[in-house]
Amino acid sequence: MDLLSVLIVSAVAFGRTAIGIITRPYETYRRIVTHGKPGELVFIAALLGIYFALASVVKVAAFRPFLLTQQFIVLFMGAISGALVSTVSIMAAGRLFRVRVRFTRLLIAWSYTLIPTTVWFLATSFLYVLLPPPRTTSVFGIVFSLLFLAFSATLLWWKVTLSYLVLRFTLKLNLGQSLVVAGVCAPVVATWAVIMYKTGIFKVPFL
Amino acid sequence: MTQNTMRDATYQKFVKRWEEVTDIPPQTLGPLTGVYKQLTKRLKVMPWPWFVVISLGFVLVLYVLIGSAITILTTMLQRGF
Repeated sequence: MDLLSVLIVSAVAFGRTAIGIITRPYETYRRIVTHGKPGELVFIAALLGIYFALASVVKVAAFRPFLLTQQFIVLFMGAISGALVSTVSIMAAGRLFRVRVRFTRLLIAWSYTLIPTTVWFLATSFLYVLLPPPRTTSVFGIVFSLLFLAFSATLLWWKVTLSYLVLRFTLKLNLGQSLVVAGVCAPVVATWAVIMYKTGIFKVPFL
Repeated sequence: MTQNTMRDATYQKFVKRWEEVTDIPPQTLGPLTGVYKQLTKRLKVMPWPWFVVISLGFVLVLYVLIGSAITILTTMLQRGF
């Protein structure tokens, strides 16, 4: 297959999977692990790229090409480092249970969990422009806060579910083992999150 | 002839599906296995109504616990992107 055919096949697979993780996450993750292709990473990266381009405009708040490009690269590299740290730490933690998994397979599965993250960051960026913080303790402020937190929590459950499915299907772990792996990975990921916070790249970790 | 081919294709499809499903050992949690199965059954297909209900409950509990301080949390998260 030539490059164009590979991209078209990957685009269709990406579209199907993106819809699948919304409607049928369990079945879709089973398919990602057995049939996921590295070409799908291109489209996940493109999705992140679109968000980071918009976020750069909101963060820099001026049309200065150098600063915008710099911001875009910093955010993009930050997100890629987060995906790599998560994937490598899950792989390493999986060895506790003598499980070996291919890096690419795990990276593809983990990368799809970045879709809820991107949706949250995208929505938060738009809301930052439409209704800039701080929120007040007026009725409107409290109602907005309740809705925003409910929205955030909904996406968080989605993210947690997808992350569990990554461990379940790629490492073939049960619930107890998955919790152990999550516990082992947590300090590594937390260290990465602190570095991102201290360097001002992400205040809320892009995971 | 065609019917046999179709039967073979259906059988092969069934075998493939069976292998997929039995690839991972079923999850058991002792006496809590039933509860786990009930819970995960709802999360396998269209889990959104459950996510929303749980989130609303979570946020209401948070509001009862910390009151209008939830606006501080929202402000922090809004500045966090």
